[in-house]
Formats: sequence, structure tokens, C-alpha cells
Amino acid sequence: MPAPLGHEEFFTSLTTLLTNTSQKTRGSVYLTQTPLLNSQSPDTADKQTLPSILIRASDGNTNAPNPKTHPEIKDKKTKKETKAKVSTVVQPGELEAFYARYAEVCKAGMTGLKKRDRKLKKAKAKGGAGKVVKA
Amino acid sequence: MPSGPYLPTSAAYLKESSLLLQAYPNSTRITTKYTFPKSSPSTSTKKSKSESTPSAQPLTPAAPIATLVLKTYNPESGICLKYRTNKAAEVGRLITALGLLAGGADMASLDGPVAAAGGDVEMTGTGEEVAATSTAPTAAGAGANTGAGVGKGKGKGKKKGKK
Repeated sequence: MPAPLGHEEFFTSLTTLLTNTSQKTRGSVYLTQTPLLNSQSPDTADKQTLPSILIRASDGNTNAPNPKTHPEIKDKKTKKETKAKVSTVVQPGELEAFYARYAEVCKAGMTGLKKRDRKLKKAKAKGGAGKVVKA
Repeated sequence: MPSGPYLPTSAAYLKESSLLLQAYPNSTRITTKYTFPKSSPSTSTKKSKSESTPSAQPLTPAAPIATLVLKTYNPESGICLKYRTNKAAEVGRLITALGLLAGGADMASLDGPVAAAGGDVEMTGTGEEVAATSTAPTAAGAGANTGAGVGKGKGKGKKKGKK
């Protein structure tokens, strides 16, 4: 596991990851958030101090050769073929600001999802029945 | 990986997830998967609305629509909660909500009188916790309201869910 990145770098990498995936219109991006357990003394109750959150982003490319077992390949092949994996740590106090940007980055990057206008078209088609029920 | 149930609404997903996080705050993880369907036609025909498309234009499929799957998983209890959407309009709200979950917000108090009662029970526990989280539900409430206002269909769904 590479060392966690700063938030700026993380967002940059995440943007690239999402953009690449959206452009290829194939593949996946995995984002995980998990509490980072601090190895502090157990006296400090977990409830009082919220743990930091570890955020990971990956393209889940398990087919890519593991750089540990194939150290040479890493140099020869392009980055696209290796598994993309970045992470960052968010302190409890930074959560709100981080997630505000996180949401922006995701919104901007996840362009493969259904747009609103498409949804409206469908809603109109469906809407006839829906409206009758509603009225 | 275990395949848990897909919850019908994002509100239900967030509510259940917050309960799971409260029960196992240290060992629960949330995964957000943004994925494009595999090129096999079976995936695209899965949804009824796209059924007609492949037969009409088999060689030129429209840009595949990605899906976003949120998954809350706790290995200790083996509980897995999932929510799936393909609407771009939901992304911002969902990610923001995940932030609130990460901050320990009590999403269960966001909607419905039953949930609110649960929140009250929670509040009698520790005064400090309430102080820390009291701002979050407010913000979340505002966000939820906005979301409901903007996405008309969503609002309808929520109302149905409540009843």
C-alpha cells in the first residue's frame, strides 16, 4: 500500500481515474471509505474522538501484473495497464470540506451516468401513468 | 464478496447504513463503485427500457450508461447493504451523505417519525456526541430537502417509502 496522498493530489488522481474510465466507457472505479483505527491508548474512548477516515480509490484492475512479482513490467508498460490505486486520510475536522470537494469531483468525473435531460424524456413517457395516479 | 440486498431508495440505504455504522463504527466500510456495464448484451438488456435498443441497432449501441453502486459492508456481522443508481443527479447528494456517515451523523433521524424517535433514544446517551453531530443532521436535512425538491421523481419515491 503506497503512502496516502495529500488531498490535492488525491483529487487530481481521482479526477484522472474517473475521466479515463468515463472516456473508455468501460471498467470501474472503486472508492472506499473506512475508519482509520488509531493505535492510541484504549483509554481514549472511540466515541469521543472520531477516527480519521481513510479514502481509497482504485480502478480495480486485478488483471494488471502485480508490481511486486513483476518489477520489470512496471517500467516497460504504460501506467494505464497497471492497477491504479491512491488513498488519502481525512481528519474528522476536515470531513465536511473534503466531502464537498469529493462530491464535486465525483459529479464532474462520473459522466457516464444518466443525465438529467434523458431522465426527463423517460419521465415524460412514463409520466402519463404516474400523473394520473398522482392526480 | 457477499451480495447483500439492494435497498429501494437512497434514503433507506443511508438510514440502514448509519445504523450499521453505529453498531460497528470501527469495522464498517463503504464502497462506492462507479462502473460501466461489460460489453456483453445481456447486461444491457437487463433493463426493460433498453430492450428495444439492441434489436434495433445491434452494432451501434448508444454510449453505455454507467452505474453507481454504494455498498456498506461490515465483515464482523456479515451485513451488507447496497444501493444502485444510474442517475447523475444523485451523485452529489450521495457523496455528501457518505461524508455525513463518515462523520458519524445519525442519518436515521433524517426522515420519518419512527426514525426521529430512534434519534431521541440516541441523544440521551452522551451529551458530547449530540453536540458533535447536531450540526450534521441539520445540514443533511437541508440537503435532503433540496434533493427532493429538485428531483421530482425522487420526492415521490420518498413519500411512498414513508407511508
